Amino acid sequence: MELSLPGKLIKRLSDTGIKSLDQNPLRSLGIIILTVLVLAAVFAPYLAPHDPKQTGIPHQSPSSEHLLGTNDLGQDVFSELIYGTRVSLTIGFLSGIISIVIGVTVGIFAGYFRGWAEELLMGTTDVFLLIPSLPLMIILAAYLNPSMWNIIVVVGLLGWCSTARLVHSRVLQVREMQFIESTRALGYSDIYIIIRHVLVNTKDIIYAKFSLAVASAMLSEASLSFLGLGDPLNISWGEMIHFAFSRGGFANDLWWWYLPPGLMICVTLLAFIMLTMEGRKDSKILELI
Amino acid sequence: MSLAKGRARFFAGKALRYGITLVIILSINFAIPRAMPGDPMINLLGEDAVRVDRQMLDELRAQYGLDRPIQDQYIEYMLGAGRLDFGYSIHKNLKVTELIYDRFFWTLVLIFPSIAIGGLLALVLGAIAGFRQGSKVDRLLTGVSIFMYSCPSFLFAMVIVTIFSFHLGWFPLGNISSGRTQGFAYLLDIGYHLFLPVAILSAFEAAYIFLIVRNSITQIMGEYFIFVAKAKGLSARVIELRHVMRNVLPQFISIMALNFGFMVSGALIIEIVFSLNGMGTLIYDSVMSRDYPVLQGAFVFLTIFVLAANFLADVLYGITDPRIGDSMNTGKMI
Repeated sequence: MELSLPGKLIKRLSDTGIKSLDQNPLRSLGIIILTVLVLAAVFAPYLAPHDPKQTGIPHQSPSSEHLLGTNDLGQDVFSELIYGTRVSLTIGFLSGIISIVIGVTVGIFAGYFRGWAEELLMGTTDVFLLIPSLPLMIILAAYLNPSMWNIIVVVGLLGWCSTARLVHSRVLQVREMQFIESTRALGYSDIYIIIRHVLVNTKDIIYAKFSLAVASAMLSEASLSFLGLGDPLNISWGEMIHFAFSRGGFANDLWWWYLPPGLMICVTLLAFIMLTMEGRKDSKILELI
Repeated sequence: MSLAKGRARFFAGKALRYGITLVIILSINFAIPRAMPGDPMINLLGEDAVRVDRQMLDELRAQYGLDRPIQDQYIEYMLGAGRLDFGYSIHKNLKVTELIYDRFFWTLVLIFPSIAIGGLLALVLGAIAGFRQGSKVDRLLTGVSIFMYSCPSFLFAMVIVTIFSFHLGWFPLGNISSGRTQGFAYLLDIGYHLFLPVAILSAFEAAYIFLIVRNSITQIMGEYFIFVAKAKGLSARVIELRHVMRNVLPQFISIMALNFGFMVSGALIIEIVFSLNGMGTLIYDSVMSRDYPVLQGAFVFLTIFVLAANFLADVLYGITDPRIGDSMNTGKMI
């Protein structure tokens, strides 16, 4: 029976697990936190009480005028934090998308076609898994101009290996299923089978892995920015901590300068991890980490 | 196929794979400064090269062979890498290799105890949580380790330093030693200075590996041979120690190895917060002054170190898992 458009939409929504949210408090909490953060990022100019670039009296403690005090240039830390949400989330999402697209493509092709394609693709993945990613990211980011887009590309291009391995092992199971064999016997092309059947049957781990990929991209970005490789024009949370650390905020114990951005990173990462929790059966999904 | 032969083949295959990985890594390191935007001379020598006098610059240009065809440069570079020669840091006025040797030792001093302590902690806590799945202890430990996973290491280190060093004054703020002592007192002094960094790094290692150990115990507990062991009437203690933990071991070793790169990255960050004189601070300084030769040398050194550790772990894995090389069973490795 063909459903009407709104009916289809509701079915779509309940397919993605919206319905089961009331049995899954952790996932609901994750969604709420992320919604708030995305709203804060979108409406940053309306929410921020000050212009984050406007300078004033430095090193002020938190007060009603400056909720989280000011930094060494007298900029309002709270406003900087809100604008930083934009940068950190953008970098996390875009790098996550790059890494998930590469990882899923590599994993599916290696798992579905087997043979030399598998040897080549998974061999490459194993090589990349062995290289410690932070030093390589540091080198690449140090050569490129310090800009947000370069960081997105560097983090995205180096974060796909674990996704590829995960998707590969799932596809190995899926391709042996009976219905795949029947579809193949019916003469459908490989690309059709991959898109309509294999991809659909791996989507649950792809969604979960995407959430974790964004989390780990944000963590990588924070580390790079902490090392001073961030974009000086788009200050992220990690970079706020870098400035607090290198310009004496840490040595002088100005906690309002470095602690809030750090806690924001923690809360955001926790929210992304919570999205992947499946109620009581959480043990399985934790393997994705 | 006999077991010994299969095993030899397993190790040979591994050695070949690591050899290829090493060549790829060295090639990446060769390609990056030449492919990146900008003058390859600057990319190879660091931003300070602009300020060096002409004659030395010409000498260095000849030494790097930037005027020769690319394949000659590649061969030259590979030979240099074989001698562990990674060029000269104009910024620090030292050979990169010397600079790294000096710092690398302290990074190792930080990493090895952390891996040992963190790994043991993960094994014990993972067993506690895994055997009592769903209990309060399990939920507490899992919660803590997920929190650690989502906390950037530099933030955690900064908070710990603020609490224990700034406010309580129990530990020094940084540095490797206070530098006035000798002999045994010197070692004690280093231990005192390294206590916090090692504790933090161990906690991160433990948090990460804990989840894996716990999950693999849960998985093994559901297997048939455990069911059989229970049916035989073996006590819970015997099943846990003799059957479950024995089977967790291979996976534990391989995840420890995979985690090695993560630990190196963590150590770099922690060193910077504690201003310890290791590879992390070296990389930090080099990033600040765009001292590219040092960055490249550090990357290659750390990567070779991680490769070697992984190779060692693969050998250990082969020893702890007798199914390796047994061609009937290799498909069903846990």
